[in-house]
Amino acid sequence: MKRDAKDASTVSSRQSPLRALLIALPMMFLTLLMLTAGKRPPDPPHVAALAITFVFFNLFFFLMVRTGKTDRYRAPLFITYAVAFVISFISRIIEIRGSMALTETNILQAQAPFCHIAIPMVLIPAALTKTIIYPGTIIGSFASISSMLILWIGASLSLGRGFCGWACFFGGLEDGFSRILKRPVIKRIGATWTYLPYAVLLLIVLTSAAAFSPTYCEWLCPFKTVTEYVQVTSLKTLIQAIIFLSLFLGLVVVLPILTKRRTQCGLFCPFGAFQSFTNKANVFDIRIDRDKCVKCGRCVRTCPTFSMNDASIAEGVSRITCMKCGKCVDTCPKGAISYHVKGTPHPGRSDRYRLLFLYPAFLFLATMAGGSIRDAILRIIKLVTTGSMV
Amino acid sequence: MKRLRAMLGYAWAFLAVVIVLATFMGNRYFSHKFVSATKITVSPRVTGGDVAKVSEHGNYKTMIHRPVFDGLIGERSTGFIQIDWEPVDGLPPVLEERVEPGGKREMAFTVRLDTRSGAATAKDHVGSGLPVDQVYKLRTGWAVRVLLQKGKAP
Repeated sequence: MKRDAKDASTVSSRQSPLRALLIALPMMFLTLLMLTAGKRPPDPPHVAALAITFVFFNLFFFLMVRTGKTDRYRAPLFITYAVAFVISFISRIIEIRGSMALTETNILQAQAPFCHIAIPMVLIPAALTKTIIYPGTIIGSFASISSMLILWIGASLSLGRGFCGWACFFGGLEDGFSRILKRPVIKRIGATWTYLPYAVLLLIVLTSAAAFSPTYCEWLCPFKTVTEYVQVTSLKTLIQAIIFLSLFLGLVVVLPILTKRRTQCGLFCPFGAFQSFTNKANVFDIRIDRDKCVKCGRCVRTCPTFSMNDASIAEGVSRITCMKCGKCVDTCPKGAISYHVKGTPHPGRSDRYRLLFLYPAFLFLATMAGGSIRDAILRIIKLVTTGSMV
Repeated sequence: MKRLRAMLGYAWAFLAVVIVLATFMGNRYFSHKFVSATKITVSPRVTGGDVAKVSEHGNYKTMIHRPVFDGLIGERSTGFIQIDWEPVDGLPPVLEERVEPGGKREMAFTVRLDTRSGAATAKDHVGSGLPVDQVYKLRTGWAVRVLLQKGKAP
Protein backbone atom coordinates (compact mmCIF):
# COMPACT_ATOMS: atom_id res chain seq x y z
CA MET A 1 0.00 0.00 0.00
CA LYS A 2 2.83 2.35 1.00
CA ARG A 3 4.75 1.39 -2.13
CA ASP A 4 1.67 2.07 -4.23
CA ALA A 5 1.31 5.52 -2.75
CA LYS A 6 4.96 6.25 -3.42
CA ASP A 7 4.61 5.02 -6.99
CA ALA A 8 1.58 7.18 -7.49
CA SER A 9 3.35 10.29 -6.25
CA THR A 10 6.34 9.70 -8.48
CA VAL A 11 4.24 9.30 -11.57
CA SER A 12 1.78 12.14 -10.92
CA SER A 13 2.30 15.36 -12.83
CA ARG A 14 3.28 17.61 -9.92
CA GLN A 15 4.49 21.12 -10.69
CA SER A 16 6.65 23.51 -8.68
CA PRO A 17 4.64 26.28 -6.94
CA LEU A 18 5.99 28.94 -9.29
CA ARG A 19 5.33 26.91 -12.42
CA ALA A 20 1.86 26.02 -11.15
CA LEU A 21 1.15 29.69 -10.52
CA LEU A 22 2.30 30.63 -14.01
CA ILE A 23 0.08 27.93 -15.52
CA ALA A 24 -2.85 29.07 -13.36
CA LEU A 25 -2.50 32.78 -14.21
CA PRO A 26 -4.34 32.68 -17.56
CA MET A 27 -7.14 30.75 -15.83
CA MET A 28 -7.40 33.51 -13.21
CA PHE A 29 -7.81 36.07 -15.97
CA LEU A 30 -10.34 33.95 -17.86
CA THR A 31 -12.43 33.10 -14.79
CA LEU A 32 -12.49 36.75 -13.76
CA LEU A 33 -13.64 37.67 -17.24
CA MET A 34 -16.33 35.00 -17.29
CA LEU A 35 -17.54 35.59 -13.73
CA THR A 36 -17.85 39.37 -14.11
CA ALA A 37 -18.86 39.40 -17.80
CA GLY A 38 -16.77 42.59 -17.92
CA LYS A 39 -19.03 44.42 -15.45
CA ARG A 40 -18.28 45.72 -11.96
CA PRO A 41 -20.40 44.19 -9.19
CA PRO A 42 -23.06 46.75 -8.12
CA ASP A 43 -22.80 46.53 -4.30
CA PRO A 44 -20.72 45.05 -1.44
CA PRO A 45 -22.66 41.74 -1.21
CA HIS A 46 -22.06 41.18 -4.94
CA VAL A 47 -18.37 42.05 -4.50
CA ALA A 48 -18.12 39.55 -1.61
CA ALA A 49 -19.90 36.81 -3.59
CA LEU A 50 -17.67 37.41 -6.61
CA ALA A 51 -14.49 37.45 -4.51
CA ILE A 52 -15.37 34.21 -2.68
CA THR A 53 -16.28 32.45 -5.93
CA PHE A 54 -13.17 33.67 -7.73
CA VAL A 55 -10.79 32.65 -4.92
CA PHE A 56 -12.57 29.32 -4.43
CA PHE A 57 -12.20 28.32 -8.08
CA ASN A 58 -8.69 29.57 -8.62
CA LEU A 59 -7.35 28.05 -5.43
CA PHE A 60 -8.64 24.66 -6.55
CA PHE A 61 -7.29 25.09 -10.05
CA PHE A 62 -3.89 26.00 -8.65
CA LEU A 63 -3.95 22.89 -6.45
CA MET A 64 -5.00 20.78 -9.41
CA VAL A 65 -2.01 21.97 -11.40
CA ARG A 66 0.40 21.92 -8.44
CA THR A 67 -0.41 18.42 -7.20
CA GLY A 68 -1.21 16.76 -10.52
CA LYS A 69 -4.45 15.43 -9.01
CA THR A 70 -7.57 16.11 -11.03
CA ASP A 71 -10.58 14.47 -9.40
CA ARG A 72 -9.43 15.30 -5.88
CA TYR A 73 -9.96 19.02 -6.58
CA ARG A 74 -12.68 18.72 -9.20
CA ALA A 75 -15.04 16.88 -6.87
CA PRO A 76 -15.42 19.57 -4.14
CA LEU A 77 -16.12 22.21 -6.80
CA PHE A 78 -18.55 19.96 -8.61
CA ILE A 79 -20.45 19.07 -5.42
CA THR A 80 -20.58 22.71 -4.30
CA TYR A 81 -21.89 23.59 -7.76
CA ALA A 82 -24.76 21.08 -7.47
CA VAL A 83 -25.78 22.28 -4.01
CA ALA A 84 -25.52 25.95 -5.07
CA PHE A 85 -27.52 25.20 -8.20
CA VAL A 86 -30.39 23.72 -6.19
CA ILE A 87 -30.45 26.76 -3.83
CA SER A 88 -30.24 29.23 -6.70
CA PHE A 89 -32.71 27.42 -8.97
CA ILE A 90 -35.42 26.96 -6.36
CA SER A 91 -35.11 30.60 -5.22
CA ARG A 92 -35.39 31.85 -8.80
CA ILE A 93 -38.35 29.63 -9.58
CA ILE A 94 -40.16 30.90 -6.49
CA GLU A 95 -39.36 34.49 -7.54
CA ILE A 96 -40.67 33.94 -11.07
CA ARG A 97 -43.66 31.65 -10.46
CA GLY A 98 -44.39 32.15 -6.79
CA SER A 99 -43.96 28.45 -6.00
CA MET A 100 -41.65 25.50 -6.57
CA ALA A 101 -44.60 23.54 -7.93
CA LEU A 102 -45.02 23.14 -11.67
CA THR A 103 -48.70 23.54 -12.46
CA GLU A 104 -50.67 22.74 -15.61
CA THR A 105 -50.96 26.50 -16.15
CA ASN A 106 -47.16 26.92 -15.95
CA ILE A 107 -46.89 24.26 -18.63
CA LEU A 108 -49.52 25.97 -20.82
CA GLN A 109 -47.71 29.29 -20.45
CA ALA A 110 -44.35 27.61 -21.28
CA GLN A 111 -42.77 28.61 -17.97
CA ALA A 112 -40.62 25.53 -17.38
CA PRO A 113 -36.86 26.18 -17.54
CA PHE A 114 -35.24 23.99 -20.16
CA CYS A 115 -32.77 21.35 -19.04
CA HIS A 116 -30.08 19.53 -21.03
CA ILE A 117 -31.56 16.11 -20.15
CA ALA A 118 -34.54 16.95 -22.40
CA ILE A 119 -32.32 17.49 -25.46
CA PRO A 120 -32.43 13.90 -26.84
CA MET A 121 -36.23 13.96 -26.61
CA VAL A 122 -36.76 17.20 -28.52
CA LEU A 123 -34.41 16.57 -31.45
CA ILE A 124 -36.55 14.25 -33.61
CA PRO A 125 -39.77 16.33 -33.29
CA ALA A 126 -37.69 19.49 -33.86
CA ALA A 127 -36.18 18.05 -37.02
CA LEU A 128 -39.54 16.89 -38.39
CA THR A 129 -41.87 19.68 -37.28
CA LYS A 130 -39.58 22.63 -36.46
CA THR A 131 -41.19 22.78 -33.04
CA ILE A 132 -39.91 21.97 -29.58
CA ILE A 133 -42.08 19.65 -27.52
CA TYR A 134 -41.10 21.28 -24.24
CA PRO A 135 -43.05 23.87 -22.24
CA GLY A 136 -40.19 26.38 -22.12
CA THR A 137 -39.37 29.64 -23.84
CA ILE A 138 -37.36 29.57 -27.02
CA ILE A 139 -35.24 32.61 -26.32
CA GLY A 140 -34.41 35.30 -23.83
CA SER A 141 -35.58 33.95 -20.49
CA PHE A 142 -34.01 32.06 -17.58
CA ALA A 143 -32.73 28.73 -19.02
CA SER A 144 -34.30 29.22 -22.43
CA ILE A 145 -34.31 26.38 -24.95
CA SER A 146 -31.97 28.01 -27.48
CA SER A 147 -29.51 29.06 -24.79
CA MET A 148 -29.28 25.50 -23.42
CA LEU A 149 -28.92 24.05 -26.93
CA ILE A 150 -25.98 26.38 -27.61
CA LEU A 151 -24.39 25.37 -24.28
CA TRP A 152 -24.83 21.72 -25.20
CA ILE A 153 -23.25 22.17 -28.65
CA GLY A 154 -20.32 24.07 -27.10
CA ALA A 155 -19.86 21.42 -24.41
CA SER A 156 -20.05 18.56 -26.89
CA LEU A 157 -17.44 20.12 -29.18
CA SER A 158 -15.07 21.02 -26.37
CA LEU A 159 -15.54 18.23 -23.82
CA GLY A 160 -17.68 15.43 -25.28
CA ARG A 161 -19.14 13.47 -22.38
CA GLY A 162 -16.81 15.47 -20.18
CA PHE A 163 -19.97 17.58 -19.80
CA CYS A 164 -21.24 15.03 -17.27
CA GLY A 165 -18.10 15.24 -15.17
CA TRP A 166 -17.50 18.97 -15.37
CA ALA A 167 -20.67 20.85 -16.26
CA CYS A 168 -23.83 18.93 -15.36
CA PHE A 169 -25.58 20.75 -12.52
CA PHE A 170 -27.10 17.54 -11.16
CA GLY A 171 -24.09 15.22 -11.23
CA GLY A 172 -22.51 16.77 -8.15
CA LEU A 173 -25.37 15.57 -5.94
CA GLU A 174 -24.58 11.94 -6.68
CA ASP A 175 -20.87 12.63 -6.64
CA GLY A 176 -21.30 13.98 -3.10
CA PHE A 177 -23.37 11.04 -1.86
CA SER A 178 -20.96 8.55 -3.47
CA ARG A 179 -18.15 9.87 -1.28
CA ILE A 180 -19.87 9.46 2.07
CA LEU A 181 -18.70 5.90 2.84
CA LYS A 182 -15.08 4.92 2.81
CA ARG A 183 -15.76 1.54 1.20
CA PRO A 184 -18.64 0.39 -0.97
CA VAL A 185 -21.29 -1.87 0.53
CA ILE A 186 -22.39 -3.13 -2.90
CA LYS A 187 -19.21 -4.04 -4.73
CA ARG A 188 -20.34 -5.80 -7.87
CA ILE A 189 -22.86 -4.55 -10.37
CA GLY A 190 -23.53 -6.73 -13.42
CA ALA A 191 -22.11 -5.37 -16.66
CA THR A 192 -25.52 -5.71 -18.31
CA TRP A 193 -26.86 -2.88 -16.16
CA THR A 194 -24.47 -0.45 -17.84
CA TYR A 195 -26.51 -0.77 -21.04
CA LEU A 196 -29.68 0.37 -19.25
CA PRO A 197 -29.14 4.09 -20.05
CA TYR A 198 -29.20 3.26 -23.77
CA ALA A 199 -32.49 1.41 -23.30
CA VAL A 200 -33.90 4.39 -21.36
CA LEU A 201 -32.63 6.71 -24.11
CA LEU A 202 -34.31 4.67 -26.84
CA LEU A 203 -37.52 4.41 -24.83
CA ILE A 204 -37.82 8.12 -24.10
CA VAL A 205 -36.86 9.22 -27.61
CA LEU A 206 -39.53 6.97 -29.14
CA THR A 207 -42.24 7.69 -26.59
CA SER A 208 -41.59 11.45 -26.71
CA ALA A 209 -41.87 11.46 -30.48
CA ALA A 210 -45.05 9.38 -30.33
CA ALA A 211 -46.70 11.30 -27.48
CA PHE A 212 -45.35 14.66 -28.59
CA SER A 213 -44.27 15.48 -25.06
CA PRO A 214 -41.04 15.00 -23.08
CA THR A 215 -41.86 11.70 -21.39
CA TYR A 216 -38.69 11.53 -19.29
CA CYS A 217 -39.48 14.92 -17.73
CA GLU A 218 -43.07 13.88 -17.15
CA TRP A 219 -42.43 10.45 -15.68
CA LEU A 220 -38.83 9.57 -14.92
CA CYS A 221 -36.70 12.57 -13.93
CA PRO A 222 -35.28 12.05 -10.41
CA PHE A 223 -34.17 15.67 -10.23
CA LYS A 224 -37.72 17.01 -10.20
CA THR A 225 -37.44 16.35 -6.49
CA VAL A 226 -34.87 19.12 -6.06
CA THR A 227 -35.96 21.54 -8.78
CA GLU A 228 -39.64 21.94 -9.57
CA TYR A 229 -41.93 19.26 -8.23
CA VAL A 230 -45.09 18.52 -10.10
CA GLN A 231 -48.14 19.89 -8.29
CA VAL A 232 -50.19 16.97 -7.00
CA THR A 233 -53.76 17.55 -8.17
CA SER A 234 -54.78 14.11 -9.43
CA LEU A 235 -53.93 10.42 -9.22
CA LYS A 236 -51.65 10.83 -12.26
CA THR A 237 -49.63 13.63 -10.67
CA LEU A 238 -49.48 11.70 -7.39
CA ILE A 239 -47.97 8.70 -9.22
CA GLN A 240 -45.53 11.03 -11.00
CA ALA A 241 -44.46 12.58 -7.71
CA ILE A 242 -43.93 9.15 -6.12
CA ILE A 243 -41.81 8.03 -9.11
CA PHE A 244 -39.67 11.19 -8.99
CA LEU A 245 -39.05 10.87 -5.28
CA SER A 246 -38.33 7.13 -5.44
CA LEU A 247 -35.88 7.52 -8.31
CA PHE A 248 -34.16 10.39 -6.53
CA LEU A 249 -33.81 8.50 -3.28
CA GLY A 250 -32.79 5.28 -5.03
CA LEU A 251 -30.48 6.47 -7.79
CA VAL A 252 -29.15 9.75 -6.47
CA VAL A 253 -28.91 9.11 -2.72
CA VAL A 254 -28.99 5.46 -1.58
CA LEU A 255 -27.26 3.61 -4.44
CA PRO A 256 -24.40 6.15 -4.79
CA ILE A 257 -23.79 5.84 -1.04
CA LEU A 258 -23.81 2.02 -1.17
CA THR A 259 -21.85 1.58 -4.41
CA LYS A 260 -19.62 4.69 -4.30
CA ARG A 261 -20.58 5.25 -7.95
CA ARG A 262 -22.70 7.78 -9.82
CA THR A 263 -25.51 5.31 -10.38
CA GLN A 264 -28.06 7.63 -11.98
CA CYS A 265 -25.39 8.83 -14.47
CA GLY A 266 -23.96 5.37 -15.10
CA LEU A 267 -27.05 3.21 -15.00
CA PHE A 268 -30.03 5.40 -15.89
CA CYS A 269 -29.42 8.87 -17.37
CA PRO A 270 -30.53 8.98 -21.04
CA PHE A 271 -28.68 12.23 -21.61
CA GLY A 272 -25.46 10.59 -20.39
CA ALA A 273 -25.99 7.75 -22.87
CA PHE A 274 -26.70 10.27 -25.63
CA GLN A 275 -23.68 12.39 -24.70
CA SER A 276 -21.44 9.29 -24.82
CA PHE A 277 -21.68 9.40 -28.61
CA THR A 278 -20.16 12.91 -28.63
CA ASN A 279 -17.03 11.37 -27.07
CA LYS A 280 -16.36 9.84 -30.47
CA ALA A 281 -16.20 13.28 -32.01
CA ASN A 282 -14.23 14.89 -29.20
CA VAL A 283 -10.48 15.39 -29.15
CA PHE A 284 -9.85 14.36 -25.54
CA ASP A 285 -9.88 10.82 -24.22
CA ILE A 286 -8.47 8.70 -21.41
CA ARG A 287 -5.76 6.22 -22.34
CA ILE A 288 -4.21 3.30 -20.50
CA ASP A 289 -0.55 2.48 -20.99
CA ARG A 290 -0.68 -1.31 -21.17
CA ASP A 291 3.05 -1.61 -20.50
CA LYS A 292 2.70 0.20 -17.17
CA CYS A 293 -0.64 -1.34 -16.17
CA VAL A 294 -0.34 -4.07 -13.53
CA LYS A 295 -4.05 -4.99 -13.79
CA CYS A 296 -4.73 -4.20 -10.14
CA GLY A 297 -8.30 -3.26 -11.08
CA ARG A 298 -8.45 -0.05 -9.03
CA CYS A 299 -9.67 1.98 -11.99
CA VAL A 300 -12.41 -0.59 -12.65
CA ARG A 301 -13.52 -0.43 -9.01
CA THR A 302 -13.45 3.35 -8.70
CA CYS A 303 -14.79 4.61 -12.04
CA PRO A 304 -18.07 6.41 -11.18
CA THR A 305 -19.73 5.58 -14.51
CA PHE A 306 -18.47 2.01 -15.04
CA SER A 307 -16.30 3.17 -17.94
CA MET A 308 -13.35 0.91 -17.17
CA ASN A 309 -13.42 -2.85 -17.56
CA ASP A 310 -11.03 -5.62 -18.55
CA ALA A 311 -11.84 -5.12 -22.22
CA SER A 312 -11.18 -1.37 -22.12
CA ILE A 313 -7.89 -1.94 -20.27
CA ALA A 314 -6.85 -4.49 -22.88
CA GLU A 315 -7.78 -1.97 -25.57
CA GLY A 316 -5.88 0.81 -23.82
CA VAL A 317 -8.73 3.31 -23.83
CA SER A 318 -11.69 4.00 -21.52
CA ARG A 319 -15.20 3.09 -22.64
CA ILE A 320 -17.36 5.49 -24.64
CA THR A 321 -19.24 6.40 -21.43
CA CYS A 322 -16.16 8.03 -19.84
CA MET A 323 -16.90 11.50 -18.45
CA LYS A 324 -13.23 12.43 -18.01
CA CYS A 325 -13.52 13.19 -14.30
CA GLY A 326 -9.95 12.01 -13.73
CA LYS A 327 -10.73 9.66 -10.84
CA CYS A 328 -8.97 6.71 -12.52
CA VAL A 329 -6.01 8.92 -13.40
CA ASP A 330 -5.70 9.97 -9.73
CA THR A 331 -6.19 6.42 -8.45
CA CYS A 332 -3.82 4.45 -10.70
CA PRO A 333 -0.81 3.50 -8.55
CA LYS A 334 1.45 3.14 -11.60
CA GLY A 335 0.46 6.27 -13.46
CA ALA A 336 -0.64 4.09 -16.34
CA ILE A 337 -3.81 6.10 -16.99
CA SER A 338 -3.63 9.59 -18.43
CA TYR A 339 -5.51 12.22 -20.38
CA HIS A 340 -4.76 12.16 -24.08
CA VAL A 341 -5.28 14.36 -27.11
CA LYS A 342 -6.39 12.31 -30.11
CA GLY A 343 -3.89 12.25 -32.93
CA THR A 344 -0.90 12.79 -30.67
CA PRO A 345 1.49 10.01 -29.69
CA HIS A 346 0.65 7.77 -26.76
CA PRO A 347 2.31 7.44 -24.35
CA GLY A 348 3.58 10.94 -24.90
CA ARG A 349 3.43 14.26 -23.11
CA SER A 350 0.70 13.27 -20.68
CA ASP A 351 1.26 16.41 -18.53
CA ARG A 352 0.70 18.57 -21.54
CA TYR A 353 -2.39 16.60 -22.63
CA ARG A 354 -3.85 16.89 -19.16
CA LEU A 355 -3.40 20.66 -19.07
CA LEU A 356 -4.85 21.00 -22.54
CA PHE A 357 -7.96 19.20 -21.28
CA LEU A 358 -8.09 20.97 -17.92
CA TYR A 359 -8.24 24.44 -19.44
CA PRO A 360 -11.53 24.07 -21.36
CA ALA A 361 -13.03 21.67 -18.81
CA PHE A 362 -12.27 23.83 -15.80
CA LEU A 363 -13.30 27.00 -17.59
CA PHE A 364 -16.63 25.40 -18.48
CA LEU A 365 -17.13 24.32 -14.88
CA ALA A 366 -16.12 27.70 -13.47
CA THR A 367 -18.43 29.58 -15.81
CA MET A 368 -21.43 27.27 -15.39
CA ALA A 369 -20.95 26.87 -11.65
CA GLY A 370 -19.77 30.43 -11.01
CA GLY A 371 -23.20 31.93 -11.64
CA SER A 372 -24.96 29.41 -9.38
CA ILE A 373 -22.40 29.68 -6.58
CA ARG A 374 -22.41 33.49 -6.63
CA ASP A 375 -26.19 33.55 -6.63
CA ALA A 376 -26.35 31.00 -3.78
CA ILE A 377 -23.89 33.10 -1.72
CA LEU A 378 -25.97 36.24 -2.34
CA ARG A 379 -29.14 34.42 -1.31
CA ILE A 380 -27.50 33.13 1.85
CA ILE A 381 -26.35 36.69 2.66
CA LYS A 382 -29.95 37.82 2.01
CA LEU A 383 -31.29 35.06 4.23
CA VAL A 384 -29.00 36.08 7.08
CA THR A 385 -29.74 39.81 6.74
CA THR A 386 -33.45 39.78 5.83
CA GLY A 387 -34.70 36.33 6.81
CA SER A 388 -35.69 35.42 3.24
CA MET A 389 -33.84 34.03 0.23
CA VAL A 390 -36.18 35.46 -2.41
CA MET B 1 1.01 11.93 -41.54
CA LYS B 2 1.58 11.28 -37.84
CA ARG B 3 2.91 14.79 -37.44
CA LEU B 4 -0.08 16.27 -39.23
CA ARG B 5 -2.49 14.28 -37.04
CA ALA B 6 -0.69 15.45 -33.93
CA MET B 7 -0.82 19.06 -35.11
CA LEU B 8 -4.53 18.78 -35.83
CA GLY B 9 -5.07 17.22 -32.41
CA TYR B 10 -3.25 20.07 -30.69
CA ALA B 11 -5.08 22.64 -32.78
CA TRP B 12 -8.47 21.21 -31.79
CA ALA B 13 -7.40 21.00 -28.15
CA PHE B 14 -6.44 24.70 -28.20
CA LEU B 15 -9.65 25.49 -30.04
CA ALA B 16 -11.62 23.85 -27.22
CA VAL B 17 -10.84 26.84 -24.97
CA VAL B 18 -12.00 29.23 -27.70
CA ILE B 19 -15.20 27.18 -28.10
CA VAL B 20 -15.90 27.40 -24.36
CA LEU B 21 -15.35 31.17 -24.37
CA ALA B 22 -17.53 31.60 -27.45
CA THR B 23 -20.25 29.35 -25.99
CA PHE B 24 -20.71 31.58 -22.98
CA MET B 25 -19.73 35.02 -24.28
CA GLY B 26 -21.62 34.57 -27.52
CA ASN B 27 -24.54 32.62 -26.08
CA ARG B 28 -27.08 35.37 -26.72
CA TYR B 29 -25.81 36.01 -30.24
CA PHE B 30 -25.70 32.33 -31.19
CA SER B 31 -29.12 31.72 -29.62
CA HIS B 32 -30.69 34.44 -31.78
CA LYS B 33 -28.85 33.19 -34.88
CA PHE B 34 -29.94 29.63 -34.14
CA VAL B 35 -33.59 30.59 -33.76
CA SER B 36 -33.65 32.80 -36.84
CA ALA B 37 -31.88 30.17 -38.93
CA THR B 38 -34.03 27.23 -37.84
CA LYS B 39 -37.31 29.16 -37.36
CA ILE B 40 -37.94 26.89 -34.41
CA THR B 41 -40.89 27.52 -32.09
CA VAL B 42 -42.52 25.86 -29.09
CA SER B 43 -44.98 23.17 -30.15
CA PRO B 44 -48.61 24.32 -30.51
CA ARG B 45 -49.52 21.28 -28.39
CA VAL B 46 -47.88 23.22 -25.54
CA THR B 47 -48.85 26.80 -26.36
CA GLY B 48 -52.28 26.12 -27.87
CA GLY B 49 -51.26 27.34 -31.34
CA ASP B 50 -51.66 30.72 -33.00
CA VAL B 51 -54.63 32.91 -32.12
CA ALA B 52 -57.04 32.79 -35.07
CA LYS B 53 -59.75 35.17 -33.82
CA VAL B 54 -60.14 37.79 -31.10
CA SER B 55 -63.63 38.78 -29.89
CA GLU B 56 -63.99 42.00 -27.89
CA HIS B 57 -66.72 41.94 -25.22
CA GLY B 58 -66.24 45.33 -23.58
CA ASN B 59 -64.77 44.45 -20.23
CA TYR B 60 -63.09 41.28 -21.47
CA LYS B 61 -61.90 39.67 -24.67
CA THR B 62 -61.86 36.13 -26.00
CA MET B 63 -59.03 34.68 -28.03
CA ILE B 64 -59.79 31.60 -30.08
CA HIS B 65 -56.75 29.67 -31.24
CA ARG B 66 -56.51 27.63 -34.42
CA PRO B 67 -57.44 23.95 -34.02
CA VAL B 68 -54.32 21.92 -33.20
CA PHE B 69 -53.99 18.51 -34.82
CA ASP B 70 -50.22 18.71 -35.26
CA GLY B 71 -48.43 15.38 -35.14
CA LEU B 72 -44.91 14.18 -35.76
CA ILE B 73 -45.59 13.46 -39.41
CA GLY B 74 -48.65 15.22 -40.79
CA GLU B 75 -51.75 15.73 -38.73
CA ARG B 76 -53.39 13.53 -36.11
CA SER B 77 -57.00 12.43 -36.12
CA THR B 78 -57.58 13.94 -32.67
CA GLY B 79 -56.68 17.39 -31.48
CA PHE B 80 -57.98 20.34 -29.52
CA ILE B 81 -58.89 23.96 -29.75
CA GLN B 82 -57.93 26.45 -27.07
CA ILE B 83 -60.05 29.39 -26.00
CA ASP B 84 -58.55 32.11 -23.77
CA TRP B 85 -60.42 34.78 -21.83
CA GLU B 86 -58.54 37.87 -20.81
CA PRO B 87 -60.04 40.64 -18.65
CA VAL B 88 -59.90 44.28 -19.63
CA ASP B 89 -61.87 45.52 -16.59
CA GLY B 90 -62.69 42.17 -15.04
CA LEU B 91 -64.34 38.91 -15.98
CA PRO B 92 -68.03 38.12 -15.47
CA PRO B 93 -68.83 35.07 -13.30
CA VAL B 94 -69.94 33.06 -16.34
CA LEU B 95 -68.24 33.24 -19.72
CA GLU B 96 -69.84 31.93 -22.87
CA GLU B 97 -68.48 31.90 -26.41
CA ARG B 98 -69.54 30.45 -29.71
CA VAL B 99 -66.57 28.85 -31.44
CA GLU B 100 -66.23 27.86 -35.07
CA PRO B 101 -63.03 25.80 -35.28
CA GLY B 102 -61.07 26.83 -38.38
CA GLY B 103 -63.99 29.07 -39.38
CA LYS B 104 -66.15 26.04 -40.20
CA ARG B 105 -69.77 26.70 -39.29
CA GLU B 106 -70.67 23.00 -39.25
CA MET B 107 -68.06 22.43 -36.53
CA ALA B 108 -69.44 25.20 -34.31
CA PHE B 109 -70.01 24.72 -30.61
CA THR B 110 -70.57 26.85 -27.55
CA VAL B 111 -68.16 26.78 -24.65
CA ARG B 112 -69.27 27.92 -21.18
CA LEU B 113 -66.98 28.56 -18.23
CA ASP B 114 -68.02 29.28 -14.65
CA THR B 115 -65.11 31.34 -13.27
CA ARG B 116 -66.28 30.81 -9.65
CA SER B 117 -65.95 27.03 -9.80
CA GLY B 118 -63.57 26.67 -12.75
CA ALA B 119 -65.99 24.24 -14.41
CA ALA B 120 -66.34 24.29 -18.19
CA THR B 121 -68.75 22.67 -20.62
CA ALA B 122 -68.91 22.61 -24.40
CA LYS B 123 -72.06 21.85 -26.39
CA ASP B 124 -72.71 21.63 -30.11
CA HIS B 125 -75.72 23.11 -31.95
CA VAL B 126 -77.98 20.18 -30.99
CA GLY B 127 -76.96 20.34 -27.37
CA SER B 128 -74.66 17.31 -27.26
CA GLY B 129 -71.69 17.65 -24.93
CA LEU B 130 -68.12 17.84 -26.18
CA PRO B 131 -65.16 16.64 -24.09
CA VAL B 132 -63.35 19.46 -22.30
CA ASP B 133 -59.70 18.48 -22.03
CA GLN B 134 -58.50 20.94 -19.42
CA VAL B 135 -59.36 24.24 -17.73
CA TYR B 136 -56.46 26.54 -16.85
CA LYS B 137 -56.51 29.48 -14.44
CA LEU B 138 -54.02 31.91 -15.94
CA ARG B 139 -52.34 34.82 -14.16
CA THR B 140 -54.90 37.27 -15.55
CA GLY B 141 -57.61 35.10 -17.09
CA TRP B 142 -58.73 31.61 -18.03
CA ALA B 143 -58.10 29.11 -20.81
CA VAL B 144 -60.05 26.04 -21.85
CA ARG B 145 -59.11 23.27 -24.26
CA VAL B 146 -61.89 21.38 -26.02
CA LEU B 147 -61.06 18.09 -27.69
CA LEU B 148 -61.78 17.77 -31.41
CA GLN B 149 -61.84 15.01 -33.98
CA LYS B 150 -60.49 15.88 -37.37
CA GLY B 151 -63.10 16.20 -40.08
CA LYS B 152 -65.94 15.29 -37.75
CA ALA B 153 -68.62 17.79 -36.85
CA PRO B 154 -69.35 17.71 -33.15
